[in-house]
Amino acid sequence: MALASVDDLTYTYAEAAAPALRDVSLELEDGEVVAVLGPSGSGKSTLLRALAGLVPHFHGGRFRGRVTVAGLDTRRARPADLAGTVATVFQDPEDQVVMARVENEVAFGLENLGTPPAEIWPRVRGALDAVAGAHLATRRTAELSGGELQRVCLAAALAVRPRLLLLDEPTSQLDPDAAEHFLERVEDLRTTVVLAEQRTTRALALASRVLFLEGGRLLLDSPRVQALEWLALHRPAYLPGASVGNGHVPHLGETVCRVRGAVYAYGAGRPALDGVDLDVRRGEVVVLEGPNGSGKTTLAKLAAGLLQPHAGTVERTVRAGYLSQDPGRYVVRERALDEVALAVHDRGRAQVALDLVGLGPFAERHPRDLSSGERERLGLAAVAVAEPELLVLDEPTRGIDPHRKAEIADWLFGQAAQGRAALVATHDRSFPADRRIALGKEAPVAV
Amino acid sequence: MRLGPVPAALVLGAAALAALLAQRLAAVAVIAGVLLAVSLRAPASRRRPYLVGILGSGLGVLVLSPFLTAQGFHVLWSGPTVPVLGKLDVTEEELSIAALNALRLVAVALAFTVYALLVDHDRLVSAAGFARRSALGVALATRLVPSLERDGVGFAEAVRGRGVPVEGVRGHARLVSPLVAGSLERATNLAEAMEVRGFGRPGHTKAPRPPWTRLDRAAAVAAGVLVLAAALWL
Repeated sequence: MALASVDDLTYTYAEAAAPALRDVSLELEDGEVVAVLGPSGSGKSTLLRALAGLVPHFHGGRFRGRVTVAGLDTRRARPADLAGTVATVFQDPEDQVVMARVENEVAFGLENLGTPPAEIWPRVRGALDAVAGAHLATRRTAELSGGELQRVCLAAALAVRPRLLLLDEPTSQLDPDAAEHFLERVEDLRTTVVLAEQRTTRALALASRVLFLEGGRLLLDSPRVQALEWLALHRPAYLPGASVGNGHVPHLGETVCRVRGAVYAYGAGRPALDGVDLDVRRGEVVVLEGPNGSGKTTLAKLAAGLLQPHAGTVERTVRAGYLSQDPGRYVVRERALDEVALAVHDRGRAQVALDLVGLGPFAERHPRDLSSGERERLGLAAVAVAEPELLVLDEPTRGIDPHRKAEIADWLFGQAAQGRAALVATHDRSFPADRRIALGKEAPVAV
Repeated sequence: MRLGPVPAALVLGAAALAALLAQRLAAVAVIAGVLLAVSLRAPASRRRPYLVGILGSGLGVLVLSPFLTAQGFHVLWSGPTVPVLGKLDVTEEELSIAALNALRLVAVALAFTVYALLVDHDRLVSAAGFARRSALGVALATRLVPSLERDGVGFAEAVRGRGVPVEGVRGHARLVSPLVAGSLERATNLAEAMEVRGFGRPGHTKAPRPPWTRLDRAAAVAAGVLVLAAALWL
């Protein structure tokens, strides 16, 4: 008997016009590692939420079909009833951590499930060991980096020894090394894993089976080898190593941003940046690389004029626009169109900017009703609409599917070709650039 | 040796209550001073916003309340008559009452600061046998204060990053609504995560915690004595 089965599931969120999932059927067997791919808004997260019972219990809406997990029908069993059998790690670790200390966070689920007290601490230690996080046990969760926090979330999920582990873009906020380590831990597990990811290379290497969702429909459900063939034929952008190549030959103009010996520290701690130099010229796309905490965001904010250096200088000769790495920041207005129009007070231009990022049809939607990837694109439109001469983008491809990523790269190089300059802080090593600068070493290194 | 979270919370609650009950300025000042000294054990970056807010509020009470009350006969300053408020003057008694109330406010707020920054909320939740949900709610609300602060800075930054200035009351007021909605969204996400982790399921257990030490018991007794002393003698 299958561990979980989804039978002809069609689900529409409350107040949504169209279903998020349409006629989806599949079965999950014990021990499978299943990668779920697809564009943002395709229904990946909704499928995971259906397997966790959150759809329909937590989100309401219209639910047709049937989902059973370990023999429990999710129409009757609530998510809390499925806890222990199913464990979920969501995209943003900050939104799922309940307790103030790591060991208590890992123990939280065990306590809820009524685990005998004598077993709790040994299982907490075991789970932290499994994610190489034993040294974090007594740390405060508020003091952990994104990568450490996401490992704690995985440990908390593993501690309950679930039969089905659901991972919803768990590496989207991690740098490549941290993401690699996280997925290595997942690979070592002896449980059924369903992994929704936009970083397809590692997910496909890990998976024994691949699902591809688009517009809420399941287009592909195949073992990995056949799935790779299908992707090569139908969705090549999702293949491992698919490049977003630009073929752009920069025509460099004058320097529009010059940073010299910049030092910046948050509070009394070690400086996030210590004596950094940077030049950005018209006509080029410069990428800032580096692990979590290396100062990419700080340098991007200095370049955009949002922060002032504590020492050193930042000279900027043109107007800059800055895209925050948190797409949740672009929800100041009630409609997507108004959100984009905030900077220019011109709805016509705002509509053009929305069309550019593929959100034209969503102009009347509330920004909070957009998926994470869609919000990311909304933010881009909101910044681009003012046509700044220097575009500073902080993690513009986070949670974005490969097609959109390629479109963003094309657009950015188009801007550079028109004589604008772009500075992109990103974990995404596949994002194309005219020049790459690595932070997190003794001094920035051009690569 | 450190106090356990429950006795620590009892002592802090007692200190706040004592500050409210005590009538002598010196007694309240001592309580506030001790709490201030304890709060300085928190990292500077975390305690700064709390202390700035507390000192600002305390000063506000001290400066404004003499103008809003009419008590005492020893006039120190006599001002003009203002519609609605009447004659503005400051008496020695008003100043004394204002100082007492300001210190009370400061002491209560400092007790909360120490609770927020230095007490282990997890163990406090764990110790709350019959009211676990309420205790967890309070602990989460306390923990989400810094998130709210970060969100506020982030919203302002994202708006400024689009070339839109965030200045004055109107500029900042524009961010209040998304900030409130954002914290509701965060709370919803957290509730979703808690639901899938079995929160609210019957039959929960507790991880074993260290028993109370002698110091813990002494602190609990001292907390009771402090409240009693404040009510009767201070």
